[in-house]
Amino acid sequence: MLKSTWGTAELCSCMQTFGSKMSSLMKLNVIIRGEKDEQAVLCSKDKTYDMKIADTSNMLLFIPGCKTPEQLNADQASCNIIHSQIAGFSNNYWELRRCRPKLKKLRKLLMEDPYEGPDSQNDQTLTISKYTTEDLLSLIQASEEEIMHQLQVIDACKIGGYWRILEFDYEMKLLNHVTQLIDSESWSLSKVPLRTCLEELGSLEPTEMIEHILLSYGRKYIDDGEVYFEMHEDKICRAIAQMLLQNAVKFNLSEFQEVWQQSVPEGMTTRLDQLKGLALLDRTSRPETISLLKVEDLPEDNQERFNSLFSIREKWTEEDITPYIQDLCAEKQTVGVLLTKYARSSMQNGVKVYNSRRPIS
Amino acid sequence: MVQIIISSGGAGGLAQWVLLELQGEVEPRQSGRLAGSLLGDLHYTREGVPVLIVGHHILYGRVVQLEKPFAVLVKRGGGEAEPAELHAHYTVTALIKTKLLFKTRPKPIITNVPKKV
Repeated sequence: MLKSTWGTAELCSCMQTFGSKMSSLMKLNVIIRGEKDEQAVLCSKDKTYDMKIADTSNMLLFIPGCKTPEQLNADQASCNIIHSQIAGFSNNYWELRRCRPKLKKLRKLLMEDPYEGPDSQNDQTLTISKYTTEDLLSLIQASEEEIMHQLQVIDACKIGGYWRILEFDYEMKLLNHVTQLIDSESWSLSKVPLRTCLEELGSLEPTEMIEHILLSYGRKYIDDGEVYFEMHEDKICRAIAQMLLQNAVKFNLSEFQEVWQQSVPEGMTTRLDQLKGLALLDRTSRPETISLLKVEDLPEDNQERFNSLFSIREKWTEEDITPYIQDLCAEKQTVGVLLTKYARSSMQNGVKVYNSRRPIS
Repeated sequence: MVQIIISSGGAGGLAQWVLLELQGEVEPRQSGRLAGSLLGDLHYTREGVPVLIVGHHILYGRVVQLEKPFAVLVKRGGGEAEPAELHAHYTVTALIKTKLLFKTRPKPIITNVPKKV
């Protein structure tokens, strides 16, 4: 029998864990992060969770050393009274739900001062808008691994201890050096030697930048002791398309496709599906047009993203909208689920289209 | 940015507590204080059913294994202000894997049945 008395209830809270094994819970080491105007998130080493306070009308009492029937059964001898104190009580607990890490801010911070090359005057200035890994960890609501992974995805590089994104024109300049060299040397696009690139281009640009551009646009491998790169055809074509599209609001689609194919390196083939999440086609206008629309420029919040998309275009087909909402999908969530929640469907000319659930001003 | 660290305590294993879940509120008798007062007695039947006696009421509950265990957190530093500490720090004091859920209506225990007059 357990006699429970009230102790002086210590200030304690109760947090629902993410259902992991007891062994990993024993070594719990997580951080709650957030600015005053942000919703709090909890970050483990590699995951991010939304935090909510769950209220319950029931009263939760914490009893240390309380035994369960199984534990008592095992100890047949004791028939005593066990006195135990209630350590605390609560009406609520913290609930954790796995969420997408809030990484849009990472790009925003690094875009404050993009790297324009060693000749640029800007780089001698203050380090206020330059960020180290530590800085980023204290500013981004995401786990360390998620941040490091995203830095790789956006092709950031470390210059002088700070994480930098290359300014687009400078990036294209570097890429152009490499593609021209590939062309003049008649190398195969899947076997670009690092050593020769550094030798030939080292006088034009810093060697770290040459290697960085090769890493960003190619896959590194070693063959017979030498480092080579297999160039990503899709990524290169996509970058060149962005370079062309950012010069005007809209382009005639067929004219664009012609210029685009002529602009890419010899041996590469352009395809419209390389532009998913980068450009929007309008097949209803005469002539058909294409314009720049980058998914990374759109809002991070689900509802805001959909509002933004529907103000750009009233009705979307699933094929057109998918590249712009794919990144919103949580673990095991599909685009279809998002569309059901945030959009309304209808048929137009025998095709299923989606529009906003609410009027967009 | 606010950063609050939650970490498990020392090298030793964490204590395992049990959660007692009651419906409604618990009030001290005759407007006394809760601290130091007796809540009640907890028994288990032979079948392992938890039975709670509070005052002159009896409640039957059941043992529930929590799918997502709870971690009990205690704020470090308590009530004292610690200006040197930039980040608040919570320590995990205990883990709760099991709860005793009492959600049936308490039955009064009648000890004195008046005789028919």
